[in-house]
Amino acid sequence: MAHDHRKLYWQIFVMLFVLTVLEVGVVYIPGIGKGLLIAALVLLALVKAALVGLFYMHLSSETTELKLTVAIPMMIPMFYALVLIVEASWRLLRNVV
Amino acid sequence: MSAEAAAAHDHHHHHAPRQEDYPVDPHYGQATGGKLGMWVFLLSDALTFAGFLLGYAILRGGTKPWIPEGLPELGINFTAILTFLLICSSVTMVLAFQAASEQNRKETLKYLGLTIFGGALFLCGQYKEYFGFDLLGGFVANFHADWGAWLAEGLTDEGLFFGTLGGSEYSAYGSTFYMITAFHGMHVFTGVSYLIVIFIRTYMGKYDDGNTNHIEICGLFWHFVDLVWILVFTFVYLIPE
Repeated sequence: MAHDHRKLYWQIFVMLFVLTVLEVGVVYIPGIGKGLLIAALVLLALVKAALVGLFYMHLSSETTELKLTVAIPMMIPMFYALVLIVEASWRLLRNVV
Repeated sequence: MSAEAAAAHDHHHHHAPRQEDYPVDPHYGQATGGKLGMWVFLLSDALTFAGFLLGYAILRGGTKPWIPEGLPELGINFTAILTFLLICSSVTMVLAFQAASEQNRKETLKYLGLTIFGGALFLCGQYKEYFGFDLLGGFVANFHADWGAWLAEGLTDEGLFFGTLGGSEYSAYGSTFYMITAFHGMHVFTGVSYLIVIFIRTYMGKYDDGNTNHIEICGLFWHFVDLVWILVFTFVYLIPE
């Protein structure tokens, strides 16, 4: 039962730390485009959240059914966010054209 | 009943069942009822946060300018330190779980203690961010004027309020900020309280048999609080106007 996962736990910690430094770093890149910045920040945050969920909350070693039980409901707000982004883009384009 | 079966029967009545004692469920393997219950709760909690963040996005998308003139911007560097604190307290939480699975009570207590310390520091940091430490700042100002002034200053001193508290003008910026970060802060407080209960039970030797179920479930809640903060940090603090 008691496998030693210390190495994995520290590796995840280092990744979370490096990704956090990157997040703060990209904000300070001079002249970075806003769209690119937001895309980079959201991607970095999602990778960090996935690392915590998979390895610290042990989702990676749960059954496929438990993984899906967690993942599918989380798709709903993400889908809603996507709809909002598409709708906002459409309004923006309509005003421009 | 054979002697062996009686011994097994006796065993099951005197110890909380371990994860490996559970029958293998065709869908959920050996996940315990408590663990599944925590996951279902966390899903509902995640959807609450998702509702807040989506409402925040809609308000922010439709408010120009998002930060009204005269109101302070949110500090990224200080909050990055708070983020780092939560990441640290997440790694100490899994290390406590690891130690508990090796039936090492002393090491489990050490890492649970560090996790509680990290959470408590985060709450102090959030208090400083909101209100500033007036007394401590005044004291430190005797030795170092700049540090003292920094310690004593919070966002409320700079005019950022929830709703129209303090006679301030309403801003969606201020209200959503306090709504989301305070809701998360209450989760940190809950997590610290939960961890203290688990710490005391570990100290009492309740988990000396290597049954890590309660510690793992507490860890699920604690890591979730860290996970939500990762998203809050990005959407509320990092994405610029």
